[in-house]
Amino acid sequence: MRTTIDIGTRIELVPMDGHFQDITVALYRQLVETMVSQINGQINSQIRDLANIDVPAFLVHSYSGLHGVADRLQQIIRTMMVLGELEPVPNTDGKLRFACGDEHHLAVRRVFLEACKFDSAERLAPRPLSTLDRKSGLTVVVDSLGQGQYRVRTSGDDAEGQSARRIDVIVNGLLKLGEMRRINANGVNTPGATDGVAEDCVAFPCSCSHDALVGLLLLRAPNVRAVVREQESMAARGVLSAPSARTL
Amino acid sequence: MPQTQIPEMTSRQRVLAALQRLPVDRTPVCNPTSVATVELMDLVDAPFPQANRDPELMARLAATGYTELGFDSIMPVFSIIQESSALGCRIQWEQKDNWPTVKMAEPIWKSADDIDIPASLLTHPDTSCVLEAIRLLRRDYGDEVAIIGKTMGPWSLAYHCFGVEAFLLMSLDDPDQTKRILDKLKAVTVDFGLAQIEAGADALTLPDHATGDLVSGEYYQRYLRDLHIEFSERLTCPIILHICGRTVDRMEYIAQTGMAAFHFDSKNQPAESMNIVGDRLSLVGNINNPETLFSRDEEAVAAEVVKNLDAGVQLIGPECAIPLQTSIENLRAIRQAVRDWHKATN
Repeated sequence: MRTTIDIGTRIELVPMDGHFQDITVALYRQLVETMVSQINGQINSQIRDLANIDVPAFLVHSYSGLHGVADRLQQIIRTMMVLGELEPVPNTDGKLRFACGDEHHLAVRRVFLEACKFDSAERLAPRPLSTLDRKSGLTVVVDSLGQGQYRVRTSGDDAEGQSARRIDVIVNGLLKLGEMRRINANGVNTPGATDGVAEDCVAFPCSCSHDALVGLLLLRAPNVRAVVREQESMAARGVLSAPSARTL
Repeated sequence: MPQTQIPEMTSRQRVLAALQRLPVDRTPVCNPTSVATVELMDLVDAPFPQANRDPELMARLAATGYTELGFDSIMPVFSIIQESSALGCRIQWEQKDNWPTVKMAEPIWKSADDIDIPASLLTHPDTSCVLEAIRLLRRDYGDEVAIIGKTMGPWSLAYHCFGVEAFLLMSLDDPDQTKRILDKLKAVTVDFGLAQIEAGADALTLPDHATGDLVSGEYYQRYLRDLHIEFSERLTCPIILHICGRTVDRMEYIAQTGMAAFHFDSKNQPAESMNIVGDRLSLVGNINNPETLFSRDEEAVAAEVVKNLDAGVQLIGPECAIPLQTSIENLRAIRQAVRDWHKATN
């Protein structure tokens, strides 16, 4: 009688897909047994090739049976692969993972949301590691330092001396949106570090580079508040309130 | 209370027994209000707002509560605006991902004398849709599962027809007119309720939003207790009263009404609520919607289920209509937690 299936834990939802018939599309997280040798993260070389581990994998799913839904889901999957540099999990039906094997929970949700918003008329390519900061008129550039570490700098005419403040804003945006960490001046990836940190540097906890992901997050990093507002507004839709709590 | 020697019951038998505080084979999982979600709308191709206006879509979407989520009840009246639409209120029907609402800033009446209940109350498309959906569900599911209808109480209808602020101010300034309004509007509650019973409803939810944030327990006793006693006498099936918010200050009065059950909010602790109502009515609820079902995981859902079962709450379910974006796995976790609790305690 039941037709829904156990497909993992839902971690993100687009209730109405504006690009396809207002269907609901969701991102589900599963754990998929994977050979350690297939993961690029920091794995002890002695156990490499010897063990399997459970790696977070992501499924883009819709319960809609409308004609064309499968194609739309494939389109979202392809977009996530380009914008977030996710890769297909071998021997699964369209599941995705990060090459490092980490979950990157907030970041993958952002990749999914951006992929659902992506206009297919636009050229699909990874976002560059630079963006024009509208507030200062400066170009913000993120340099990949390797091992998942990135340095934020600006270029352009900084007549008003805004560079340091804007770098700080962008760094904080990347920390929040990508659950990245600060690193110290010696380049050591330090969780929760506050002393001796390099104010312009951030790193992924997995110690792997994710240039496309950083490029994607960089677009939203200048205005994290707007992202939070959008999320809160989305979450509030569809919550029924008593008549006494309404103003309409 | 559940007893191990009770033979296996159907979902319908389980719900109806629990509403009478009779022995059950296990605690029923019951939704006196909506458990529709956007994903379930896709599954059966019955999206909002159409599923609030087309009986086949309404029945199809409502049935997923039973077929997909494992609830022991089906409740097809997702919104709280069906009869208000029939009364002439202006409705904002919204889209798939949001609830239809009455435009209360555009009230249709100003005084008790304005109240004119149309002869077409039960044939209006938005009320007849509910009646037809109940007939369809009864036809398709027979005696297998409890079918719960919904008829709005006069306090809620007054909010819709007069506006919240105007009606509350009137209740302070002009108690006599307030009572006349409630007395006139009760006909809507009774007529729509009886029509749903005739269509096949096993029980009725009766939301009457004298909510804890705006209305005191004393207000409930003054304006609503006697009306609710009348409803429980005139509506010939078990009635489940629904009031949102913190309501322990009026539970004693509610327990005096003869209602079969009270659908209570998670702002009320299960044990304190059970202590007040005793064995005079059943309690149903009180799994938190916004923080638990919508935002947390299955483990958190299970913890709230267990808290209610430990307190002796007779029927377990969400505290109110669930957010439309709630995940299917969290809703399924309610039934699983009830089953696990019985396995552990038996």
